[in-house]
Amino acid sequence: MNGKELIERMVPLSQVESMKQVAPLTNAMFPGTHCPLMGAAMAVRGIKNSLIMIIGTDECAYYTKHMTIHSEDFGGLGGRCVSVVLDGHDVTFGCVKKVEAAFAEVMEEYKPQAVFLVTTCVVEIIGDDMDAAADALTQKYNIPVMAVHTEHFKCENHLPGLERTITACFSLMEKRPCDGRVNLLGQRMGSFADTELSHVLQNAGVKIGLQLPCGCTVDDIREGAAAKANIVVNEIALPLAKKMEETFGIPYVFFDRFADPEKIAACYRKLFTALEMHLPEELQVLEAKAVEAKQEAAKELAGVTYIYGNTPFRTFELNRFMVSLGMVPQIIQTSAITAADAEDKAAILEKCDPYITKTANIAPLQYVYDELHPMLYLGHEYANRLRQKGIAMVRTDGANSLLGYEVTGFAVKALLTAARECREIRKGGEA
Amino acid sequence: MGLVRYLPTPSDRMGILWSLLTVDGSVILEYGPAGTTHFSMSLYGELGVDQQNRLFTTHMSEDDVIMGDVSRLEKALVEVDEAYHPQVIFVVASSISAVIGTDLKGVCAYMQERVKARLIAFEQGGFRGDYSVGIQEAYRLLAQDVVEEKTRSGGNTYNILGASAGCFRMKSDVNEIRRLMREAFGMEMNACLCMDTSVEKIANAGEAALNLVLREEAVPAAKIMESKCGTPYLQGAPYGYAGTLRWLEAVGAKLGKTVAMPLKMELKKRAMEVSQYRMYGMMLKEFKPQAAIFSDAPVVEGLSSFMGEIGFPVRQKISRHSLRLYEAPAEDLKYLSDEKDRIDVVKSLHHTLVLADDVSKRLLAEDNTYLRVSMPLVDGAQIATHMPLMGPRGADYILETVEDYLNTLR
Repeated sequence: MNGKELIERMVPLSQVESMKQVAPLTNAMFPGTHCPLMGAAMAVRGIKNSLIMIIGTDECAYYTKHMTIHSEDFGGLGGRCVSVVLDGHDVTFGCVKKVEAAFAEVMEEYKPQAVFLVTTCVVEIIGDDMDAAADALTQKYNIPVMAVHTEHFKCENHLPGLERTITACFSLMEKRPCDGRVNLLGQRMGSFADTELSHVLQNAGVKIGLQLPCGCTVDDIREGAAAKANIVVNEIALPLAKKMEETFGIPYVFFDRFADPEKIAACYRKLFTALEMHLPEELQVLEAKAVEAKQEAAKELAGVTYIYGNTPFRTFELNRFMVSLGMVPQIIQTSAITAADAEDKAAILEKCDPYITKTANIAPLQYVYDELHPMLYLGHEYANRLRQKGIAMVRTDGANSLLGYEVTGFAVKALLTAARECREIRKGGEA
Repeated sequence: MGLVRYLPTPSDRMGILWSLLTVDGSVILEYGPAGTTHFSMSLYGELGVDQQNRLFTTHMSEDDVIMGDVSRLEKALVEVDEAYHPQVIFVVASSISAVIGTDLKGVCAYMQERVKARLIAFEQGGFRGDYSVGIQEAYRLLAQDVVEEKTRSGGNTYNILGASAGCFRMKSDVNEIRRLMREAFGMEMNACLCMDTSVEKIANAGEAALNLVLREEAVPAAKIMESKCGTPYLQGAPYGYAGTLRWLEAVGAKLGKTVAMPLKMELKKRAMEVSQYRMYGMMLKEFKPQAAIFSDAPVVEGLSSFMGEIGFPVRQKISRHSLRLYEAPAEDLKYLSDEKDRIDVVKSLHHTLVLADDVSKRLLAEDNTYLRVSMPLVDGAQIATHMPLMGPRGADYILETVEDYLNTLR
């Protein structure tokens, strides 16, 4: 594979408005992106007393169950992930009757409080009406049954699966009197209780309500409309938050895992305004610390080149943050470009114009490294393989349990550690 | 089949993938949504098959599905060919491409002119049966399209047909067969369909003196090789001590060779020693020893035969996969397609030596004694490659659990 040719296939960020203009590095990919079925399973994992029923091929059912076997949240092998496996007959004649029969067994054995009927690619192609089936089952068994569609050929990665599962929960909600709590919507990994944002809210006496999908019960979801405000920590929860705002008048604050202190400050301001409370004084100290960390890091990180893969951060916001530190992006891999990214994208383009390509295709990247010689790689890769090419990996998974100014500190520390490691590798002749 | 509470039986497509992933010098290109490929990684890692630079996906978009556009596949084929220079590219259908009826064989036929690698299409998308069907198709197409037409040289090599990476301890079993064949006849293995093998070895498989067929799914491949290269085959596998000796003697008869005396004597001695277990069984008053076996059909048959050597009746013989490809399965060997029926059988067992899989283990009453002899794995990993279920070493290993079991009956 020729690295130069691969680079020529990519387009610069300035020429891209939507994902349709972003080409994958190659047409043959490995490992490829995760599918929305996995996303749906990730969401259901955090909703206790609910059950996921996968409707699809043996393969889809096998891999999803395999993923849940060691999950305590799911209840392990005998836990709340079950399936209805389709065969050639079902593909030809439809699978609704089979689903209904399996559902009866579920009700008898598991007694769930809510069920997510998760359809996979094949069901969407054969066109069985699982929304109608879910409605009929809701009527029959008097529990909420929600159809979640997870066909992968219509989307780029697993996030739509999370989004659709969370959004489906809206059907469980009813108007409730406000009790002043805030809901946390969209946290898919890590523990919210460990975050700075959680501590700040606790110190301010704010009660945390529904935490969807990172840890709640079906009853918590039912009580979700009692909140004073919703905190949306990932775009996957925006459709639900918007529906709750429209229907129940609950405002939402988009408080993603931002790295830039200015953005974080704006989130805190908006949040406490929505709560009709004064901004806690402790935030001034935290902000000052984050700003100082950023300024200090810039001295060492200016000129450091990198390729961006997949991290727990917002792609364009983090890249904008790194560019503001003087770092130089060579390639940005992404699975989405939305209107919300426009401002960050423009800020990046003021300083540089990196190539852009799709995520989850690390095999051909090996050849690109030999041409671009980045110092850092952000995302999942084989660290040893990178080291042999003189590249240090930036480890960012730890950011999953962070929200607030702590994100800035974590990000600069991870970048500084990797930049120093890269310099050591290159000094030691391993490159 | 209704509700599936645990792990469903792997599909034909999964059997094809875990077979082909073991063939060095080849690449698998999946024509389907990328998520399935990514999702599969943990299972194939668990089975011990390497995916690095062996497995790729094209992904499929809505446009591809609606319009039947295969240009993505065409470009991917050229890329893989130029980048990795494989000798063979296996183009494997997904459930979607199978349902919409993508003509993969047709695409491979016209793309063959544009690539150096040989293109072999697998159009099963998971709807033609379980993995038993998939592995049969993998062996069959390898024999048909990769094995070269060579006259057997009468040399000192043999092939193994029917090793499945999805079968528990198969690497160890292959190593045990290699040891036995070396000690018995001084012979070495050439190709192994499909375990740690290569396109080159499979291409040259016709030079071998004999094909050892471990499971019925490999018989069609053996017949193709017999007609193509004149290679005779022997179906069966070495389980137990007397069983291993019988198998070696059958191999010797096919080859016109005799089993080396030291190995023959050792097996005879061990077969004599274990006959004492029959007496232990008779001495027990309250509970008599009995076994139940849940695994791949050939493993169930093989281990049942060994249980016969030690005088343990086998009360349940349950195949993990369908038996529709088996010409004359034993009458008492069953496949229960409905998971509920399997659960009921497992839960009904008491004071039994249960040779099975980890899912069954979780369902067993405490008065049973369990030994893992089958996939799927839930409570552990498969690490050793020297701990077979086949051969005298496999029998030794199983006997240790038999001893534990007998203690529970005293």
